Amino acid sequence: MQYKSQAVAKPYFIAAIGLFTGQILFGLIMGLQYVVGDFLFPEIPFNVARMVHTNLLIVWLLFGFMGSAYYLVPEESETELFSPKLAQVLFWIFLLAGAATVLGYLLVPYATLARMTGNNILATMGREFLEQPLPTKVGIVIVALAFLFNITMTVLKGRKTSITLVLLIGLWGLAVFFLFSFYNPSNLVLDKYFWWWVVHLWVEGVWELILGALLAFVLIKVTGVDREVIEKWLYVIIAMSLITGLIGTGHHYYWIGTPESWLWFGSVFSALEPIPFFMMTVFAFNMVNRRRREHPNKAATLWALGTGVMSFLGAGVWGFLHTLAPVNYYTHGTQITAAHGHMAFYGAYVMVVITMISYAMPVLRGRAANSERAQVLEMWSFWIMTVSIVFITLFLTAAGILQVWLQRISATPMGFMATQDQISLFYWLREISGVFFLVGLVLYIASFFIKGGKTVSA
Amino acid sequence: MIKRHNPIRPCTGVWLLLVLLTLVTYGIGEAGLGGIEVVFLLLAMVLIKGQMVADFFMGLRRVRLRWRILLTIYLLLVVSGIALAYLMGIK
Amino acid sequence: MAAPAVGFFLPATQAIMNASTLDKDVNSAMPPGDFAIWIFIYAELLAFGIFFLAYAFTRAHNVELFNASQLSLNRESGAINTLVLITSSYFVVRALAAIKRGRQVFCVRWLAAAIAMGGLFVAIKLAEFHAKFSAGISLHTNTFYMFYLSLTIFHFMHVLLGMLILGFVLFKAHRGHYSAEQHAGVETGASYWHMVDLVWIILFPLVYVIR
Repeated sequence: MQYKSQAVAKPYFIAAIGLFTGQILFGLIMGLQYVVGDFLFPEIPFNVARMVHTNLLIVWLLFGFMGSAYYLVPEESETELFSPKLAQVLFWIFLLAGAATVLGYLLVPYATLARMTGNNILATMGREFLEQPLPTKVGIVIVALAFLFNITMTVLKGRKTSITLVLLIGLWGLAVFFLFSFYNPSNLVLDKYFWWWVVHLWVEGVWELILGALLAFVLIKVTGVDREVIEKWLYVIIAMSLITGLIGTGHHYYWIGTPESWLWFGSVFSALEPIPFFMMTVFAFNMVNRRRREHPNKAATLWALGTGVMSFLGAGVWGFLHTLAPVNYYTHGTQITAAHGHMAFYGAYVMVVITMISYAMPVLRGRAANSERAQVLEMWSFWIMTVSIVFITLFLTAAGILQVWLQRISATPMGFMATQDQISLFYWLREISGVFFLVGLVLYIASFFIKGGKTVSA
Repeated sequence: MIKRHNPIRPCTGVWLLLVLLTLVTYGIGEAGLGGIEVVFLLLAMVLIKGQMVADFFMGLRRVRLRWRILLTIYLLLVVSGIALAYLMGIK
Repeated sequence: MAAPAVGFFLPATQAIMNASTLDKDVNSAMPPGDFAIWIFIYAELLAFGIFFLAYAFTRAHNVELFNASQLSLNRESGAINTLVLITSSYFVVRALAAIKRGRQVFCVRWLAAAIAMGGLFVAIKLAEFHAKFSAGISLHTNTFYMFYLSLTIFHFMHVLLGMLILGFVLFKAHRGHYSAEQHAGVETGASYWHMVDLVWIILFPLVYVIR
């Protein structure tokens, strides 16, 4: 690695993959609970498994973003990290807080957890993805601000590039929008209105900036294409993300009691949200085609290209399928939503973090790329995980279409539970795909333990 | 210096044409006219004005055909969409 | 949004310089200016296009409402604004022609005139909005007004952005950054402004006249 302090990224990456594994295990638990309702009941009820699954996802992605930033920023800024010590301390704080929170979900009834952690002081618990106790939320803010301080000071004292600029805007945005998780109005319409200021403005807003910056960084490294070309693409892509995504928030405001004009604004702007993802795909393939060097890390290149494609499919296409108000009227809150959610998160954020890890970990371990054997295994894991997610998505889409038909469109609509019985076959198929996904993940982890690799300086 | 294509005089002509078409549009509005023929006339003027802006103001007349065609297709799609919608509204 | 605009005009102009010495007057491959702006232009046209069609098809289901509410619109300010934007675009064309002949001072003056016309559009539009809001009309009054206000406000914001871009180009022209050989920045800003004009050319008849 070019700068010693980049080494602080390593524990973040390891924690990320570890928590990712935990997320998948709990996903498999839930997948089985869909069809065997009392599996692990009452020890791990469905709602608890769900909290663990979703919260672990967010936390491991945050570890991934932070590790990526610690790796990328010193290299881009051409200076050592402002405080490697701070980065290490924050790692343990975040990890322990995260572990404590997950244990809290698992070991203590949620209402008791709320009482124990002072939810009566400021009620922030009880909302999807934002189930964390107040102290955890406060802890996240502190860790985030300290992390941002560290990274920002590094950029300020070194070279400023478009990549670090975009990354900083994205990360600061992430922190700022998280503050809305503390705002929990009693009016249900307002509650939901502002909840999306965390969720949508994260994943369809500032996180896209982070995604763009990380992807651009890896592409510069593995293709050797002129920085100016890549940076220009990055600006255009994130501009399109913001232009479409900000007002595109309106596609969550169709049915919650907000004015009717949102049906129009939300539909028109969110329909355009696939554009930046399409551009990212074209961008990635274009840069690789125009490459000026044959970088030894083929696996990272594969992950980068895959990120473009899968994020376009999962976030762009599957998102588009149910974004228009007249369609969403029927599909809202069904397995269509789950189908989109899984492929979008995997394609965009899981894959970009893995792309960074694939690129950076060998360097952090003293080589330009892993050995051919390790890379081959890693590429197998890429295909197995990606194809599994595609199948998960297809099966959930089928389940969703059938669900919408039976429960909402048919002349003699069925009730929710009766419909669930009818679509259970797809849930079994989804679960099998999920097992394959885990296999892919295990192979990915295994690839880290295969020895050897080119020790040519990166 | 090589004698170049003079970009000024044609553009002044174009400007005058655009002004004229705008005044006609305004006049139709003032007269409160409606109906298929009037609307088609208005939309035809939109097409002409748009194409003029694309060709002469944006300078697409002098670049590779595909960029010009792209804009023409855009104008055609929007205008015919509006025409179609108008016809639907009449029934 | 000005920051990314600043961020890519500078390196982009450099890239254009390095990339080609093509005489752009002779059937060159690319549209004038930095290609990045054309991506925006097509994206904006797409967004507005969808909006226009949404308006037209919604009108088809609410013909009487649209016809009636349309009567309350100030057609004079709409028409004058059309003339203002067309003229402003013409001035931008003159500015580009001037710099292509190396006449920096004239370029600056034509750009200033174009921006002034933009300011006139803004003033007239603000007066129009003020009149509507004072009469108690808002986005929620009815579907027609929802479209009328959102379309014209959306366009208005693009006029403001366009003026900012032209202002930036004016500033650079004044400082002598452009010449007969390299003026890609002027072409870039000009192209965006023409798009703003083009959108209004469709909007005015569609919203103010067609009935």
